[in-house]
Amino acid sequence: MTGQASPTALPDVRAPLLGTWRDAPGLRGFLTTVDHKRIAARYVLTAMAMLFLAGLLAVDMRLQLSRPEMERMGPQGFNEAFALHGSTMLFLVSVPVMEAMALWLIPLMLGQRTVAFPRLAAFSYWMYLGGVLMLWIAHALDITPDLGWFEYPPLSGPAYSPGHRADIWAQMITFSEVAALAASVNIAATILKMRPPGMTLARMPLFVWTMLVASLMTIFALPSVMLVTSMLISDRMVATHFFTPAGGGDALLFQHLFWFFGHPEVYIIFIPAIGFVSSIVETFSRRTLFGYVPMVLAVLGIGVLAFGLWVHHMFAVGLPRLGNAFYTAASMAIALPAGLQIFCWIATMWSGRPRYATPMLWVIGFIATFVIGGLSGIMTASSPLDLQLTDTYFVVAHLHYVLVGGALFPLFGAFCYWYPKATGRLMSERWGVIAFLLIVGGFNIGFFPMHLLGLEGMPRRIYTYGPDMGWGTLNLVATIGTFISAAGGLVFTANAWLSLKRGPLAGADPWGGATLEWATSSPPPVHNFDHVPVVDSIAPLWMQESDLPVMTGLRSDLREVLITSVVDAIPQYRQKSPEPSIMPLIAAIATSVLFVGSIFTPWALVWGAIPVAAALTLWFWPKRPRATDGPFGVRRS
Amino acid sequence: MNRYALPGVVMLLAGCSGVQSPLNPAGDQALSVRGLLELMTWICGGMYLLVILLLGASLWRARMRPIPEAAPQVEPVDTGLSRGLVAWAALIFAGLTVLIAASFLVDRRLASARDREALVVRVTGHQWWWRLRYRDPATGAWIETANELHLPAGRTARIELGSADVIHSFWVPNVAGKMDVIPGRINRIDVTPRRTGWFRGQCAEFCGTQHAHMAFDVKVDRPADFDDWLASEKRPAAIPADATARRGMAIVTEGPCAACHVVRGTDAKGRAGPDLTHLGSRRSIAAGTLRLSRGALQGWIAQPQAIKPGTLMPAIALEPADADAAARYLEALR
Amino acid sequence: MTGRPVLALLVLGVLAACNAEKRVTGPTQPQTAPNGAADPRIAIRQSSFEQISQGGRYFAWYGCGRCHAQGAPGIRDLGDQHRRSVRGFDQVYRTIAGHPGISPSYANRIPTDQLWQLTAYVQSLKSLDPGRRRRQDLDQKGEARGETWSGPVR
Repeated sequence: MTGQASPTALPDVRAPLLGTWRDAPGLRGFLTTVDHKRIAARYVLTAMAMLFLAGLLAVDMRLQLSRPEMERMGPQGFNEAFALHGSTMLFLVSVPVMEAMALWLIPLMLGQRTVAFPRLAAFSYWMYLGGVLMLWIAHALDITPDLGWFEYPPLSGPAYSPGHRADIWAQMITFSEVAALAASVNIAATILKMRPPGMTLARMPLFVWTMLVASLMTIFALPSVMLVTSMLISDRMVATHFFTPAGGGDALLFQHLFWFFGHPEVYIIFIPAIGFVSSIVETFSRRTLFGYVPMVLAVLGIGVLAFGLWVHHMFAVGLPRLGNAFYTAASMAIALPAGLQIFCWIATMWSGRPRYATPMLWVIGFIATFVIGGLSGIMTASSPLDLQLTDTYFVVAHLHYVLVGGALFPLFGAFCYWYPKATGRLMSERWGVIAFLLIVGGFNIGFFPMHLLGLEGMPRRIYTYGPDMGWGTLNLVATIGTFISAAGGLVFTANAWLSLKRGPLAGADPWGGATLEWATSSPPPVHNFDHVPVVDSIAPLWMQESDLPVMTGLRSDLREVLITSVVDAIPQYRQKSPEPSIMPLIAAIATSVLFVGSIFTPWALVWGAIPVAAALTLWFWPKRPRATDGPFGVRRS
Repeated sequence: MNRYALPGVVMLLAGCSGVQSPLNPAGDQALSVRGLLELMTWICGGMYLLVILLLGASLWRARMRPIPEAAPQVEPVDTGLSRGLVAWAALIFAGLTVLIAASFLVDRRLASARDREALVVRVTGHQWWWRLRYRDPATGAWIETANELHLPAGRTARIELGSADVIHSFWVPNVAGKMDVIPGRINRIDVTPRRTGWFRGQCAEFCGTQHAHMAFDVKVDRPADFDDWLASEKRPAAIPADATARRGMAIVTEGPCAACHVVRGTDAKGRAGPDLTHLGSRRSIAAGTLRLSRGALQGWIAQPQAIKPGTLMPAIALEPADADAAARYLEALR
Repeated sequence: MTGRPVLALLVLGVLAACNAEKRVTGPTQPQTAPNGAADPRIAIRQSSFEQISQGGRYFAWYGCGRCHAQGAPGIRDLGDQHRRSVRGFDQVYRTIAGHPGISPSYANRIPTDQLWQLTAYVQSLKSLDPGRRRRQDLDQKGEARGETWSGPVR
């Protein structure tokens, strides 16, 4: 099952490959690595640290709201807390962690040595780290942005939001969006051009499809938010009039541009989770996914439809009613592909032979929780009903049900599922079940009451409320639930940490998976696979009774990857893969200086461009000879 | 599992009879929307139960089957399930069609209250209070008040919403849905209250530090009582009989208060803050933050930051006797 | 060795910038006029973005903009030209408090804390780019100006 046939048939290239693909030792290796697994690991760990910090803020807010007129936090502190919580969760946790999982998994699922653009992957992480540091160092210095995770002007304009807090928020977004674009381009290119021979589009694992769609969506959606935050900085710094009505601008322009990004963003977060769930359901039901074609079409449908829904965040701003009705219909219509997917997963379990390890429990928790979020979304999709529900705790409940239930639960399941592959050990099942029950149970106790609070008139983003509003009991219940869930999170983290040393050894394929990542050792060697596997079915590891067929011919003394065609994955040529390099870090530092400086003066764009240009020139300085020998060598006429 | 039982119990405990609740409609618009809410809850609840049943059934079914160590199935024939998928898709399609149609029809009903005899009220959102202006039926002039909205029952009021600074949102859940208050646009919302009584509205779009304390009282009156109220609002400020209150009048109308507040009929003509002409007749002060009382007024004037940190109302330091006099005067402004 | 002073300067610069960002809410406002140019409260409040911005709002609300709008003749618009007559914070404060031609004086009509904020705002106007001043005024078009209010922003 590992693709290693008898030594006499295949050349033994493991030792030279290990030498060719290894990093420099110590700090130098840490800073120059282009190993997608190392980069993805630090990406995931940073995102989980951000999840922890954002969770602390949430606990803080819940304590403040647990009783009426609590005086733990004043309005300034609370406003900073929800702004930081939302911004961190949406820009620094949800999207980056999905990309990081893809960065780690995609080459392994495709039998490849690395991603299409390894140095770009490193650059993506350093830019993401820049965004993290920008926001959280600002918080440490007590200049936290305090206007929410979408800072509508004119409140965020120069007159009503003095100083640089709003600019810090806007520029943090620029950092994280550059990182996301870099990662998405990388993932899309890898998926389209670097698949194993024989893995046509129709044989791609569903997770690969979802990452392809999410990456393409990112490329289309993120420029909108970069544009709108730059326009905001411009309004604040150089007195443009984009968002000021008295100057000919329009406050709603911000909302349209922001939500044109904002709505696809939540699907960018959810669609990879679809991939996680599909992988887990398939493996643990011991049958290939039911309805592969409807599932792929549903993912594509969601990806396209997501761009036509953004006005449902603006039903209360007074746009023409017929337009609102159109967006109601479109927002409800997206339930059709999502609903089909739920059926396909349940059908797979129905006709398979389900086993209940922790990853499968998370899938069950996902279905039970996410569907509530989806249905509360149908309710808020109706524009007349939304006029009562929007900007209340009903929407807070809805968004947490879909983001936590729909993205975080599958993510935790994915962690449990691929942890053995990444570390070589299994997490404790018993503690995994305990963590699961605490997190899912606590989450529902915490957030279900918020539906009722919204229906009882509690608006969002208020730091306190009066004792005669009648909201005290439900708020207390919500706070208790949050604590239970947080305890579960600590158990999960402890399990992951302790299992690193104490967990039972996993072997290459502890779950009996179908996809290629299970064909290499756990953890994978630095070059992933000794030879590129050849695929002729949708479940390569299940179809091959004996060893997986492989393709030889890539050099083991140079870094080389195989490039294949887009639709049918026919091998086309060999591509030199970049050596480790310090240039991504240098370029990220130069870009960070430009971004941070441009908050304080527009001249930073001019002067800051010079080091960036220098760094990029050095980065792209050509020094890689192409393969000139062998059947796929470059032909010079 | 406890997550199903608990919400039911909690719903009973918390009650649905709030003064700021969409579940307690006192107006046509809120009533239509609550009907839609009920329809959607039934359909969505039904779908959820169906999903959970199917999930449970599939997991139960597996327990009934032994787990052989046979090879995993790769793309088996699934005719029954394929038909099930089509049926499921049809079910979702039908459900969505019903909901989209219902939503559209309710939306039309909300829009159908035309301005045949609508009472026009101009509401302006400020950080962090509400300015209200009514048209005087006799003269056509605008009568200004603040933070307490009176509406006649049974008559449609067309609320014209403007903003003096940032985006706010006007929301009286018992009567109608919300409408954002956006600088650069005049949004309109028609509300038709039916039931008399006191309700509460609150700003529903984050508008800065004290967004949490930007509420307003709503009194739905019988039409005759409403006309009386409007007539009394039209009158200039009462001159108090009490000597202490008269001293308070001098302090308020000639001191620092006059720079921002207007008390019609006196020298206080500032427009930056709420109109105080009939402050004594209102139920609360500081945009619904404190119930009106002499003590509350004194506290608010002396230390507004302690009550509403971040407020733009300045702290006015007065001698205790002066503070008492001023509070008596303001209380007497009925 | 030369790295350390630079680092110290950088840290001080960052901390100073951060002090300017502090939001001061709560009953801790000055209740007395500044005593002389060396009053320690001046440094913090003069550079605080929040205090300057609040001063800008009261500048409109107390009607100062009627005579001191941007583009007013000579030194009246309090902008660039005002810079030439370099005056300290406490001198500007006293000018506002005992403003010529106003009776009763602003000191009697405007609370002390607001006088501080107005002074901070006026001081900031000396170095505020006219384009940015115009832009801030545009956002505040819906605010009251003394005894006139021209309605919400349309």
